[in-house]
Amino acid sequence: MGREKEKEKPSEKALNLLRSRLSDPNFIFRPLSDSPDSNYSKLKFIISTSVTEACNNSILLLGPHGSGKVAVLELVLSDLLQQYPEAISVIRLNGLLHSDDNCALKEIARQLCMEHQLLFSKVASFDDNSQFMIAMLRECGLAHKTIIFVLDEFDFFAQGKQRLLYSLLDAMQSVNSQAVVIGVSCRLDVDQLLEKRVRSRFSHRKLLFLSPSKEDTERFMEHILSLPMDSSLPHNYAAEFNGRLKKILSDERFKELIDTYLSFNFTIGHLVRFLFQAVSYMDLNAGFLSLGNLKTALSSNQRQLKLESIRDCSVLELYMMVCMKRLEVKEQTSYNFYSVMTEYKSIHDSFQTSDYYAANVCLRAFEHLLQCQLISFIDNKGHNQSVEFRPVKLLISSAELHQGLKSYQQCPAILLKLMDR
Amino acid sequence: MATEESPQVTRRATRSYSASNTAIESTNLPESYKPTINDLGFRQQPLRLEDLLSSFPGRRSQILELLRLLGPLNSPMFPILVYGGPSTGKTSVTLQVFRHLNRPFIYSSCITCYSPRILFESILNQLLFHRKDSGHSYSSVKRCERPSDFVNYLREALENVLTNLKGNSGKVSSKMSGRPDGTMVYLVFDNLERIRDWDKSSTILPFLFNLNDILKMPEVGLIFISNTSPDTYYLNIGYVEPIPLYFPDYTEDDLRHIFMANQTNSRLYASFLDVVLRPFCRVTRQVDELAAAFSSLFKKYSEPLSDKEVAPNEEMKRRLFSHIRPHIASALNETFQVRSQPLLKAETNEETKKTNSSRMLGIREDFDKIDFHMSTSAKYLLISAFLASRNPATLDASLFDSTGVSDSRKRKRKASEKSMDQKEMAEQELLMKGPGTFPLERLLAIFQCITSLAEDSLDEEESHELTVEGGSRGLMSDVLLQLSSLCNANFIIKGGSCPLEGSTRYRTAVSEDLALKVARSLKFPLSKYLYRR
Repeated sequence: MGREKEKEKPSEKALNLLRSRLSDPNFIFRPLSDSPDSNYSKLKFIISTSVTEACNNSILLLGPHGSGKVAVLELVLSDLLQQYPEAISVIRLNGLLHSDDNCALKEIARQLCMEHQLLFSKVASFDDNSQFMIAMLRECGLAHKTIIFVLDEFDFFAQGKQRLLYSLLDAMQSVNSQAVVIGVSCRLDVDQLLEKRVRSRFSHRKLLFLSPSKEDTERFMEHILSLPMDSSLPHNYAAEFNGRLKKILSDERFKELIDTYLSFNFTIGHLVRFLFQAVSYMDLNAGFLSLGNLKTALSSNQRQLKLESIRDCSVLELYMMVCMKRLEVKEQTSYNFYSVMTEYKSIHDSFQTSDYYAANVCLRAFEHLLQCQLISFIDNKGHNQSVEFRPVKLLISSAELHQGLKSYQQCPAILLKLMDR
Repeated sequence: MATEESPQVTRRATRSYSASNTAIESTNLPESYKPTINDLGFRQQPLRLEDLLSSFPGRRSQILELLRLLGPLNSPMFPILVYGGPSTGKTSVTLQVFRHLNRPFIYSSCITCYSPRILFESILNQLLFHRKDSGHSYSSVKRCERPSDFVNYLREALENVLTNLKGNSGKVSSKMSGRPDGTMVYLVFDNLERIRDWDKSSTILPFLFNLNDILKMPEVGLIFISNTSPDTYYLNIGYVEPIPLYFPDYTEDDLRHIFMANQTNSRLYASFLDVVLRPFCRVTRQVDELAAAFSSLFKKYSEPLSDKEVAPNEEMKRRLFSHIRPHIASALNETFQVRSQPLLKAETNEETKKTNSSRMLGIREDFDKIDFHMSTSAKYLLISAFLASRNPATLDASLFDSTGVSDSRKRKRKASEKSMDQKEMAEQELLMKGPGTFPLERLLAIFQCITSLAEDSLDEEESHELTVEGGSRGLMSDVLLQLSSLCNANFIIKGGSCPLEGSTRYRTAVSEDLALKVARSLKFPLSKYLYRR
């Protein structure tokens, strides 16, 4: 174990570079935001006009998870902070964490205190915090400083009584303040969730974040996966890497692959995660990205989870599932462990199988099926009864079970025969 | 007395206190251990890749994939979800991979951290190098219940740790000093499926899966380990899912490799596995269940061999096989049980005269004794609860009238077709509904009837046994106290209260076999009181 640092191979450096690029939302969304009619420019225009013209504003950013709403917003905010360094202060709230009004106001007060170097008291009450917020809004309005409230997962704030939203929007209207409220949500109908009094104070501006077109996607992939020529990587290595990349991208099979993936997961976030996986599988010895890496990434995302669970079951567990299927066929809609055991015994009596085990072993198999979520209890309130008496239902369809049995190694033929009946 | 032993203790003290005091004064109490940043890494000898791969047979592709997804040093990563059946090696592979890579990580399991507060505080304790000890009365470094507080504290703690790590990375190579490598911190959450059963699971699960986006720190990597597949976590809120990494169950060959490791006599064990592995794999393929069954079976298998080190030839293998064969069928029907000590001795005595016990196909005749201790009144209470659940209430009067034993066998009428069908339907209904509920008063009434019967029958027998228990005086313990301990032990389940009456109802949770065993130990004729339709 000497002290010398191992010489980093160029492929390792390339891997590091690509991985850090793919994990950095700023890098990903900047090229997509270059055109003048993109969401980035619209958002920037709206916020900068509120800052310069000293007015209040509110806007909703809507789109599925991974379409870059918060990333574009952060790009806009960082640009504006560079442009107007003293005139903007940003408060960030998240619906998953701060949906409770007390919590949210405490967080607003804490962030305001941090920005303006004030002392924050943890024991301040809800009223104290809300008065503090209104006072700060007034002061900042007088000082021509805009406070931007970013409310992530906005639909969580719209649950319950919406006290926070109302007090925020009301303060914006009544007090002499300059504030912009930006709501970010994955629900496209989130403004329908707002109460009437909140909705009337909310401007109905919405920005939709949709998935980019096909050409944009291809251009994006090429941009993000190409190595830069002027970095610390050896020139010929980078050139060859980019050349091979171009060949892969224009390959028909690659286009098919990407189409398959994007038909299920159509946001940029999903695509980036897929590319990250493919890049991680890159073979460091060969040093170049290959189509095989992309195929492996695709197959790992397209697992058939229930089939895998069936393949992991033992033969006894398969028997139990087939018994339950037969009970369903016999139109017995609810069954529990003991009825499955009677069916199991009747199968054994009629077919003389060699797989007949005692009740405690079968109960252990039954509990294993419950754990894998191949079966589940019908209701969650039955804690009064022991496991053997609570009614259960199968969570896989008979087609899936059939397919699972066929792909099971050394599946007893009797089971397939029973399923076919 | 205290004053005699240590005359310098002038105030009054209990004996144990002064005894421990003298011990403390004589030796120096060792300083309580303060964790440092080196504890974030695995503090054992680092592992080479070949050793890592060879210590986990059958997991080569999973280990390599995990290494690739974690990536080279200081490279950011997307969250990973490691999933697979129980005892497939997920936790051990993940931890050993971190040992091989020598990178700092925080491990928390949702079994030991069974509520959000404990989970958050355990992570913060590890990041802030705080160990719970008696000096702080075992408190955590920060009280943290809500996710919002957790995120704030976590950010501060992570920034501290990361600056610490960055400072270290410029210094001496860490392989010499036992320090973990790199400037990234990894958070490992084990047994994620337990969170689904928590009260607050609908907020905690999306919070954990979105933690990467909330923190927005590329130097933090998240790894989730779960027993169930990702589709059990799909909730209403969508999020970009973590990268899945699947650990399939072991195949038979892998199981063979696993069990063959660390065996002293590998040829003997290999012939043993040839015999037992295939039939057992039809029942279960989990390593822990198989290991429990194999350890006792292997002892039986190698019993006839005088020399345990010998490698068996074909002739010996055949003999050993015929010796073990009857035991396999019975062992297949056992699940792992921890027996109490006296029964183990009884087992060795009984084995010498035990004949082939599989009269019924594959079902083993268990010992007639129950293998835990219960007081007599608790046993009677259990039996009364079983009868109360099993029999309908209207029969109580006829079964337990003042003359004691009554004949519950109805006069047999010739069973017609219709009544047979009705019987079947009634049996099915009984199976589906399970044992019925009963109020406390009925339980106590049956208990009194049974114990008064027992006293009468005991009085008729010789009374020398009673001197140990004190006769009827032995059954007068606090019945309600016994009832609550039976409820805690899950022999009786306490249900909700009936809305009309307002009293709680109970239900029995024991099987008929156990009730029969308990009754047999008391010499109580349970079958006479059981209602059979």
